[in-house]
Amino acid sequence: MKVLVPVKRVLDYNVKVRVKADGSGVDLSNMKMSMNPFDEIAIEEAVRLKEAGTATEVVAVSIGVPQAQDTLRTALAMGADRALLIQSDQDLEPLSVAKLLKAVVAEEQPTVVILGKQAIDGDNNAVGQMLAALLDWPQATFASKVEIAGNKATVMREVDGGLQTIEVDLPAVITVDLRLNEPRYASLPNIMKARKKPLDVKEAASYGVDIAPRLQVLKVAEPAKRKAGIKVEDAADLVMRLKNEAGVL
Amino acid sequence: MQIYTAPLRDMRFVLHELHGLERLYALPAFADFSDELVDSVLEEAGKVTREVLLPINASGDEEGCVLDNGVVRTPKGFKEAYNVFREGGWNALSAEPEWGGQGLPKCVGSAVEEMICGANLSFSLYPGLTAGAVEALKSHASDELKQRFVPKMVEGTWAGSMCLTEAHCGTDLGLLRTKATPQEDGSYKIDGAKIFISSGDHDLTPNIIHLVLARLPDAPEGVRGISLFLAPKFLPDADGNPGQRNGIQCTALEHKMGIKASATCQLSLDNATGWLVGEPNKGMAAMFTMMNTERVGVGIQALGVAEAAYQSAVAYARDRIQGRALGGAQHPDQAADPIIVHPDVRRMLMTMRVNNEGCRALAAWVSQALDLRTHAATEEERLEAEDFVALMTPVVKALFTDLGYESVNLAMQVHGGHGYIRDHGMEQYVRDTRITMIYEGTNGVQALDLVGRKMPAHMGRYLRRFFHPVAEFIAANKADPDIGKMVEALEKAFGALQLTTAQLAQSGMKDPEEAGAAATEYLRLFGLVALAYLWARMAKVAAGKLAAGDPDAAFYSAKLISARFYYERILPQTSALFLSIKAGKGAMMEMAEAAF
Amino acid sequence: MAVLIIADHDNHAVRDTTHKSVTAAAGLSGDIDILVLGQGARAAADAAAKITGVRKVLLAESPALGAMVAEAVEAVVLPLMAGYDALLTPATSAGKNVAPRIAAKLDVAPISDIVEVIDASTFTRPIYAGNALETIKSSDAKKVITVRPTVFAAAAEGGSAAVEVVSAAGDAGKSRFVSEETVKSARPELGAARIIVSGGRAMGSADEFKAVLEPLADMLGAAIGASRAAVDAGYAPNDFQVGQTGKVVAPDLYIAIGISGAIQHLAGMKDSKVIVAINKDPDAPIFQVADYGLVGDYKTLVPQFSAELQKMGN
Repeated sequence: MKVLVPVKRVLDYNVKVRVKADGSGVDLSNMKMSMNPFDEIAIEEAVRLKEAGTATEVVAVSIGVPQAQDTLRTALAMGADRALLIQSDQDLEPLSVAKLLKAVVAEEQPTVVILGKQAIDGDNNAVGQMLAALLDWPQATFASKVEIAGNKATVMREVDGGLQTIEVDLPAVITVDLRLNEPRYASLPNIMKARKKPLDVKEAASYGVDIAPRLQVLKVAEPAKRKAGIKVEDAADLVMRLKNEAGVL
Repeated sequence: MQIYTAPLRDMRFVLHELHGLERLYALPAFADFSDELVDSVLEEAGKVTREVLLPINASGDEEGCVLDNGVVRTPKGFKEAYNVFREGGWNALSAEPEWGGQGLPKCVGSAVEEMICGANLSFSLYPGLTAGAVEALKSHASDELKQRFVPKMVEGTWAGSMCLTEAHCGTDLGLLRTKATPQEDGSYKIDGAKIFISSGDHDLTPNIIHLVLARLPDAPEGVRGISLFLAPKFLPDADGNPGQRNGIQCTALEHKMGIKASATCQLSLDNATGWLVGEPNKGMAAMFTMMNTERVGVGIQALGVAEAAYQSAVAYARDRIQGRALGGAQHPDQAADPIIVHPDVRRMLMTMRVNNEGCRALAAWVSQALDLRTHAATEEERLEAEDFVALMTPVVKALFTDLGYESVNLAMQVHGGHGYIRDHGMEQYVRDTRITMIYEGTNGVQALDLVGRKMPAHMGRYLRRFFHPVAEFIAANKADPDIGKMVEALEKAFGALQLTTAQLAQSGMKDPEEAGAAATEYLRLFGLVALAYLWARMAKVAAGKLAAGDPDAAFYSAKLISARFYYERILPQTSALFLSIKAGKGAMMEMAEAAF
Repeated sequence: MAVLIIADHDNHAVRDTTHKSVTAAAGLSGDIDILVLGQGARAAADAAAKITGVRKVLLAESPALGAMVAEAVEAVVLPLMAGYDALLTPATSAGKNVAPRIAAKLDVAPISDIVEVIDASTFTRPIYAGNALETIKSSDAKKVITVRPTVFAAAAEGGSAAVEVVSAAGDAGKSRFVSEETVKSARPELGAARIIVSGGRAMGSADEFKAVLEPLADMLGAAIGASRAAVDAGYAPNDFQVGQTGKVVAPDLYIAIGISGAIQHLAGMKDSKVIVAINKDPDAPIFQVADYGLVGDYKTLVPQFSAELQKMGN
């Protein structure tokens, strides 16, 4: 069984976000970039499926600038077998990403596509669901537990009220949530081995898919800053202020 | 608060842009490597050190190690962290593939070491001691001994320790009393008591391989009568697994000022079984083989912690608002300005920064020489590298640790009162780094080594390995439009160093006490000139990148400004040192002993 | 044309996230219809009919819809979309699950988690855990939008729209609901609560978490939230998690106890009207967003706080 794992190169989650002065976007120049944390969890899950004997091959795919190869190498170092970079200089919308991934799925024929539930830059939480729709595959989103047996996947999902378990027929799209697993650190031997694993590069245009954007970013701004607060003396002071000053009690 | 993000950008600058690793990639030993691979390794090391080692640094210091019924327990989290470290292959980073290592160049290993120490100095001593023991074994042990012990130690499955010091002898190991008595089967029985043994006992690995210095019966007196032995905590059974418990026991844990999570033991050897490593009575020579790598390692320990301290100090200086900028409020909307606006705070931060970055550049230079001395194609190149390492080892050890200790104290100072409070983590850095000026050969011993052994060696051959490139650089760049002024200052300082060297060579020959009296200041003078040379080279690279329109302009501009600070505010110290040294031993030796 | 809103309900009532979506929908043009999907949800449909500004309520029921199985929802909604310009749903886990699927089927770009409607094609939404806001304009003829409820006012009640039953077309059945573990609580829901008391990893254990937060929540009539660290450590269930990838809340009062204030947590609560932080680390980032900060050990301070609240009540 082949597992396809799309991964995205994003601003490292530890880096302080700076909005460009001209409002055109977030400043990414010379900032540390890393694999989207949810995608690390997706790769980890796929590699574990391989180690358990359920999956036979894990293929990582990324869509973006040439430097996304670093992200793919990390995926290979974590245990993916092959990687594919679809090069595109423009920022692609989730819909375009889903369409490109559909084309990749047609080529690669995976049984399961595992993705991070959202990318921490766009926070759209959309690609997985859209890919499933385009493929007419069932979707199991926000997975906190995945069991694959035969041609079904049983997935426990984190939902607003608690946990929901569903069963989906394969092939299926699964998006992963935070608590699914703890991604491994790439070991040195695997980092070295990763260099020898295949990493193909293709141009986004070569897929013949309509990736023209539907959304135009008019501006990016910082949110209004909260006024600075104060430190209160003690609990009595706090209650008094909450009642009289803030009026919330 | 202790924060630490591995300084990957600066490490990449130093490795790829300042020094370049092409010379290593051209060698068969490193033919498989590339900048890309090196960067992946550094990236992952940064992650592991920050996410696994840093979180247990303060807690490890708080908890310390415990000796419980003869067993030493490391603080909570250390075992798990060590497993992640070992399983990730990090213990074996620079070891040769034939021993199960990853075979990465030592200069990459040094960068990773810096990260480990920056995140958790105590932790670094466990794999650090193992690496030292492995070096000694690889160079001097019989094939049989090597096969039995080295692979597991390279893996990190078994750890190592170095048992040299005794209560009455540290610096002067010639006085040591531990005895080794030959047995019929070729092994030895060792009896004695050792102190200050880092990683002497712990719960991270199922076996610990101790390298022990001891005297054979009828051995000559002093250092010429010392032999090196291997004595494991558990004697390997027929399958090579830890079997019978050997006669080495931790009798007490040292109560130290710092590196509290490092298990520093008093060890008692009671009829312990051991095997000879190398030739009888050649133990000191065997030790010294690995001493160079260990001493450079200690320098890097201090650099690692100094970098972490600097990062915390910068974060604090940005957030802490007190008072107003001398030229008028810079943030009138806030109750006060962040203290980073104050010149005196800047002075402290810049001092830390330029010392850290300068030392990092020097560490990379010296560690690349560690690779070349083993792997360079020609004997000539290997000798050149070996000489350079021999010369620079005492400088790296003493300079980095002295400057590192100054830096962590500056970081505490920047924090004001909060720097003195445990929770902020600065005082731990001070307590932890203090030992680096002492162990692995006190800085005084390093200075004597530089002046007494390395400076005069082979008619100044070692010296030339440093003087030559500096002189060449000066000649080639005096008229450089970007760094010409800097190079002029470098020339003056270098001239002072050369003059002092010549004077010291003369006076030292006549009276060894003159050499001894000048040694510490000479080493500092030497070190400052070395850093100045590297700063000028870094400035040149940065100026070139800016001129070429490199998008990372912010980084290169900062490099240029740092170089300027070094030259304007740090390098002038060389003039004072020159004068002190020139003054000679006089007053200090004239004082009657009774008058102290 | 018109706007279709997928209701957020519990079969008996409609949650106010739906009312807030109606307010958001008012910024688009056309009539507003509400679609109630569920099983045994008639009462919810009747409740939805009362929201001011709603033209009609559509009700579709089936067991799969009761579990909001995405493919089943798609089967109902897609055919309906011929009559609508826009589909809205609150950015609940159910909404986030289905909206993008439907968008892809319609071949339009989904617009997630909007915090502002500028016009029928222009919206503002948070990115980078709310550290930036992007204003985007859609060129699609139909829009599919999820709405961040916390920033919109709830539409009033007083209307009396008609309720129309729509057939729940069978779906392919490739996805089946198996089971659910939801905690029914007397406390208000996190998304709707006026006051939230939230605990972090400093609690140290699930028992301690309960022991510290439950009495306080009871006293204040508050919902209970948790940081990711507390949930990861097993001190609180996942549905308590507040943060970038948990729930985004904006209560009148948010009390963070033993929470350091990682960026990802702040993303979930920094729009709260008043933020109180109790933490023994004076440098904890939470104090940077707190209106009132109390430095010290929660073990001492929370009992004191409760005692003072008690006094005030009397």
